[in-house]
Amino acid sequence: MAHVFALVQAAADSAAAYRDFPVIGSRAAIWIAAEIHLMFAAFVLGVPIFAVVAEAIGIFGKDQRYDRLAKEFTRLLLIAYSATAIWGAVFVFLLSTLYPRFWAYLTAIFGVSMWVYVSIFFFESFTLYLYYYGWDRWKQGRAKIVHWCLGILLNIWGTAVMFIADSWLTYMMTPPRDITPETSPASIKLWHAILNHTWMPINIHRLIGNVVFGGAIVGAYASYRFLAAKTDEERAHYDWMGYVGNFIAISALIVLPFAGYWLGREIYQYDQSMGITMMGGFMSWLWVIQAFLIAVLFLAGNYYLWVGMGRIPGAERFRPYTKWLLVVLVLGALVWGTPHTMIADSRELAAMGGSHHPLLGALGVMSAKNTAVNLMILSTFLSFLLYRRANIRQVVPWAKTGTRIQAAMFVIAAGVVLFFGIRGYFVEAIVRIGYSVYQVGAVLACIVFVTVIDVLMARGAQSLGAIQWGKMPPRSQYALFILAVTFTWLMGLMGFARSGIRQHWHVWQVMQDTTPYAATPALGYAAIMISTCVLIFLSLVGFIFWLGGLAEKSTFVPSTEAPHVGH
Amino acid sequence: MRAYLRHPFWQAVGLFVLAYLVIVFVIPMLPGSAMVPSSVVLQYMATVLVGILIWVSDDEARWTTFKEPLHEVLIQPRLKLVRNGLLAAVTLVVGCLTYSQVKASVAAPPNLRSIHPAPPSQITFRGKTITLVGLENPLRKQGELAPHVAEGRRIYYQNCVPCHGDHLDGQGHFASGFNPLPANFQDNGTIAQLTESFVFWRIAKGGPGLPREGTPWNSAMPAWEDFLTEDEIWSVVLFLYDQTGWKPRTWEVTAK
Amino acid sequence: MWATNLRIIGIVLGTLALYTLIANKIPQVQSEVPHALTLGANVTPEQLVAAGDQLYHGAGGCTACHGLGTRAPNLLTDEKGLGPIGARCGKREAGKDCKAYLYESLTSPRAYVVSGYEPIMPEMGRILSPQQIWALVAFLESQSGTVDVTASDIPAASGPAASAAPAASGGGGPGIAGGSTEPMTIIRGAGCTGCHKVGTEGGAIGPNLTHVGSRLSAALIRECILKPDTRVAKGYEKFVGVMPKMFGNQLTGAQLEALVQFLSSQK
Repeated sequence: MAHVFALVQAAADSAAAYRDFPVIGSRAAIWIAAEIHLMFAAFVLGVPIFAVVAEAIGIFGKDQRYDRLAKEFTRLLLIAYSATAIWGAVFVFLLSTLYPRFWAYLTAIFGVSMWVYVSIFFFESFTLYLYYYGWDRWKQGRAKIVHWCLGILLNIWGTAVMFIADSWLTYMMTPPRDITPETSPASIKLWHAILNHTWMPINIHRLIGNVVFGGAIVGAYASYRFLAAKTDEERAHYDWMGYVGNFIAISALIVLPFAGYWLGREIYQYDQSMGITMMGGFMSWLWVIQAFLIAVLFLAGNYYLWVGMGRIPGAERFRPYTKWLLVVLVLGALVWGTPHTMIADSRELAAMGGSHHPLLGALGVMSAKNTAVNLMILSTFLSFLLYRRANIRQVVPWAKTGTRIQAAMFVIAAGVVLFFGIRGYFVEAIVRIGYSVYQVGAVLACIVFVTVIDVLMARGAQSLGAIQWGKMPPRSQYALFILAVTFTWLMGLMGFARSGIRQHWHVWQVMQDTTPYAATPALGYAAIMISTCVLIFLSLVGFIFWLGGLAEKSTFVPSTEAPHVGH
Repeated sequence: MRAYLRHPFWQAVGLFVLAYLVIVFVIPMLPGSAMVPSSVVLQYMATVLVGILIWVSDDEARWTTFKEPLHEVLIQPRLKLVRNGLLAAVTLVVGCLTYSQVKASVAAPPNLRSIHPAPPSQITFRGKTITLVGLENPLRKQGELAPHVAEGRRIYYQNCVPCHGDHLDGQGHFASGFNPLPANFQDNGTIAQLTESFVFWRIAKGGPGLPREGTPWNSAMPAWEDFLTEDEIWSVVLFLYDQTGWKPRTWEVTAK
Repeated sequence: MWATNLRIIGIVLGTLALYTLIANKIPQVQSEVPHALTLGANVTPEQLVAAGDQLYHGAGGCTACHGLGTRAPNLLTDEKGLGPIGARCGKREAGKDCKAYLYESLTSPRAYVVSGYEPIMPEMGRILSPQQIWALVAFLESQSGTVDVTASDIPAASGPAASAAPAASGGGGPGIAGGSTEPMTIIRGAGCTGCHKVGTEGGAIGPNLTHVGSRLSAALIRECILKPDTRVAKGYEKFVGVMPKMFGNQLTGAQLEALVQFLSSQK
């Protein structure tokens, strides 16, 4: 009889544990709400970083264009901010009504941090209002600096809010080891739960990711305004804005993989089977899709720069080199996208003697991928460098030597990357993992030193003619759109990876998901969900941009100053 | 002829065809290589196509010249024949592609097996719970390795050789009858990438113990826990690494 | 203006469609919630059937042959007017009811081969646990038949005792092949045909035993079974140590003698 009672009890428990959402089901409902909230949140956290940096350049570089740019974005931020809050509320309501028991579990542990979250959110809102509405009032002298500090404060609040929210979801992924299904949630110390394995890696990863995302959306906004522009001056302004957005997105993107690498490493350290599920298990194909998306990002970003060289007098000196950069990038994309386990029918399998290709399989392993992506990063950096240099002639006496040193640095960095890439095939895994650090170190060192030399070398440089902002063919603007869509989609995909490796657990190995939706869906279904979310998000953003245009025609003021030689 | 060689449109077409020839015909001819599966050919060609399109369109002048032949074919009256031929060819190609996609075929569908599915963190071996995370081969700490290796060799030749073969290369007598093929231990993608505890798990639990991502065509590997003892499996693992010369993947040493 | 808007919408939709298409084009794998197969003393027939259903379509790998082409009978559909397997299983082999027939066809599939098919099925006892075998029997019975597998059929969890004698196939008796002294039953039950060819059955790893009586005397045959490595047939030196040495412990005296007499008569 006892087990009958147990069954009845279990049925009663599960009745209170979950409710169902009509038509699309609980999982899809939560998925959409969380994803769109997250995209808006990333935008709302990324843009202030962007705005503060732009304002600083405006103040310290005495360039009014940047100040206007910062303001224009803060205006969009205001509307996007309320959209974030609305979607956040939708998410919380859905979670607490559809998964009441899980919600109760989370609140039992994190209740206090949720109150703190709300109060910081409150402060953040008011700082944002002050920052935006005080823009024209505190315009000069010391007041301007205070205003800029408000922007920094806004970022601090935003980052704090994100850190708190991150602790909830990282706890779901990697609860501290001493917590078992029997642990009473009320007995878990808050700080202990927050300081779990993946909390800091996710914080850093998201911080950088938000900058990338903000830059990409800014680029898309600018390209939309560019295409819609009526006058040449307006076109020039938005062309420039698109360039800045793209620059920020791509430069932050270059450091993003390192944060991702740290996160992946922490996941492996926490639980190897979770790591293998992520990299080698049922999600392994997700990384081939990710590789494809990253290749699109690199190619589109470089394409935009190369097309942009068409509007720079003097850039024709560098045109012959860009095609070799393209060759490196395409070869890199080929290696980067080569799967280790290939999709093949039985005839091909027999010819290959398994699902690893005897020759190309060598390109499918970590050593080859790291080498390819590092060389792609180097090429992209070189593209930027050529672009920067396109319309100036250095006047410093050591310009020639400097260029030679820079070239030597590129060669050394590429050599280090290739050396460790090839050597990685001959050593055991634990040593090979260490090699990626050397490769990354060489590339980062090259980027830093070459940039320093370049800045010194460009002092007092002669201009070969102003950049003809606005003289861009429309196809370059479409490339910016593809960048924005790809970034957004990539974010959705990586979110699926992070959340999906929990598999059928609400809290990994502590609280099991017993809904009919507990199985982690296949990539195809996930892709449809991601596309739906991206579409909803972009439609709303489009609406916000349209509103932004409605309220005030544009912050663009026909300029009377001399054209800038800006970057 | 020279005009064609210099024209970006024909250069692009030439590059595209050349890439196809290299991928489909040259790569398989390289020593130790094999045919490239069609899914990978498609992926490579798509990447090359994007690269070529970027090249022709990143310069205004080149882009304009590139478009000329296309434009002419579409509107020039004298090229009516070419135009009609092209339209017919496009229709035909689309038709053929559609047909090849929908026609029923006898071949098994391409499969996507995960070769190294995620191991559980612990397994039950004959009623005893073994934690796999951080587990090393216990025999490595028990005196001389040589007798264990010899024992592993004996067990391998008693049980494993019909499928995994004399050379540990997955080419045993029965190998050709299986899908998936037996693991090739000489390959750098199998045991060389794995910890000994992973190999132990695969031997102990075999095909039936594979998680879902190890499907759809399930491995014929028996669950050796029914036939071998724990120490016997460990000694086989030892033998596999000793014979192939690979080093097992080691656990990361935590700083603590 | 609208042309630009439409073009932007086209680009966004096109990019999304491309990514979605690629992700849907690769083979799809879903990560299922693992279901532990714990068939305790109070297991119901429905639970057994459900577990068997999963095995049949999943880890058992049955559908690789049964249901595809003409390699094996299709078990879930009507075959030659006899109905699905649950309806026809009792009529296959004289003296065996449905349950016994299905259990035999899983554990020693070559004991009875339906006419028109080749003996290609692996012994599922080597691949699946006893509980899984019984779950499959229950599932197959449920195909237009009555499920009469009960918890008492299923041996208690496969502890060390169960795994110590995994080769025991066929009915319940002790030793190989349930103690039968019928030579071919012993040969099949002991797994000899895994390596040796006897008549039309068996593999090609070890020497062909079809005419072994013309090469070896009865005494030598006996020695070779008990101590396989003392004499090695020419050409098979590489396989020294492959043949198990435990047959002396597993065969009963009567079985060994029956086997030796049978083999030495194969001239």
